[in-house]
Amino acid sequence: MPDFDADKVSEIHQHLHSHLPSEPALRVKALETLLVDKGLVNPQTIDAWIEAYTEEIGPKRGARVVARAWCDPDFKKRLFEDAPAAIDELGYLGKATAHLKVVENTDKVHNLVVCTLCSCYPFSILGIAPAWYKAAAYRSRAVRDPRGVLAEFGVDIGDEVEIRVWDSTAELRYLVLPQRPAGTEDLNEDELAALVTRNSMIGTDRDLSKG
Amino acid sequence: MDGIHDLGGKQGYGPIDRDGEDEIFHEDWEGREWGIAQCARTPGITIDWWRHCRELIMPVDYLVRPYFDSWAQTDFSTYIEAGWMTLEEVAAGKSLNTDIDYGEPPPAMTFEQVLDEDRAHAFRFDTAIDAPPAFEVGRRVHTVKHGHKGHTRLPQYARGHVGTVHAYNGAHVFPDLSAKGTEVHQHCYNVMFEAAELWPEAAGSKDKVYLDLWESYLEEA
Repeated sequence: MPDFDADKVSEIHQHLHSHLPSEPALRVKALETLLVDKGLVNPQTIDAWIEAYTEEIGPKRGARVVARAWCDPDFKKRLFEDAPAAIDELGYLGKATAHLKVVENTDKVHNLVVCTLCSCYPFSILGIAPAWYKAAAYRSRAVRDPRGVLAEFGVDIGDEVEIRVWDSTAELRYLVLPQRPAGTEDLNEDELAALVTRNSMIGTDRDLSKG
Repeated sequence: MDGIHDLGGKQGYGPIDRDGEDEIFHEDWEGREWGIAQCARTPGITIDWWRHCRELIMPVDYLVRPYFDSWAQTDFSTYIEAGWMTLEEVAAGKSLNTDIDYGEPPPAMTFEQVLDEDRAHAFRFDTAIDAPPAFEVGRRVHTVKHGHKGHTRLPQYARGHVGTVHAYNGAHVFPDLSAKGTEVHQHCYNVMFEAAELWPEAAGSKDKVYLDLWESYLEEA
């Protein structure tokens, strides 16, 4: 059982700073070796988690949710009322999505998601977060200079558009519903899903008609 | 805690590095750590204690270590603090302690079993509590200025400011106490702040920042 002793943890971090191997790969290897040696972790299960988040769980799921919301007004309604239940219809409810909220872009509103305190992310529908989402530059600037951040991503937001930044400070997680591009009336759900980028569901992409 | 992790609004971190943004794991060890973190937990640990242990990484390490490397360091620290691992074992690279009963080693899980396990990780943090929520939607609230040394989810940049309750989230596990091993549910609200309220340079901006905040972070405005 943990003692929840923060001072002790600070001391441990100081020791680890000096005594862990210098390379990340060696540090993680050391951790895995110890945990396997103690019978706490099964290396084949680690393999399976890597496979799951490489082959199955990722932004394709979020894109499917977005495309369905574009095609099916009833699904979209359910998505806004109870996002966890709606994504569960697709089998996507899972890690970090039990308190999912969906926020919608319009001509007048652009949404941007960040976690300034750590790196909270809706894993079971977007997979592993991109490195920039977890890095200091994005986490520090998204709440203060969202227009500057978006410009770096090539997204220019006009003065007529209000930006809403969602800082994930609790167990709620946010998925941006981007706008359906004009001229896609004839596309089916699969074709629409292919247009949806991971970044558009975080909010660092906006106009999906660019392809 | 006014730690290095509390990055919202801090300046000087430069442009955003999008290098390799479409790679899931850039190096093998990142995937290994992801997998370790999914299947390894000390008993009695809470997500908030784990987050706090990550926040306590020395600032010089916090800022330069690759992301999943900081997870590994956090895992080491939680295991060592809980007595399930020692610094000597870390140095030796093998288990030296034989008098702890870790239970049966977990069996190997398949791809399909892990997908089920991911579904089982849809943890909820809310429950019904007797006390009614203090603030209704639309109410103006003032955030407290507290800066206690423990874990909190009220970022520095949002302290001492006036916002408007945008939504009621239900009663959620209160992180400040969960990080000390005590599970208490408290009303949690989504609170909207005008950018101009938070940032001096945003005067006249129509932009807004929304945070999910617990009741004890808030006072009537």
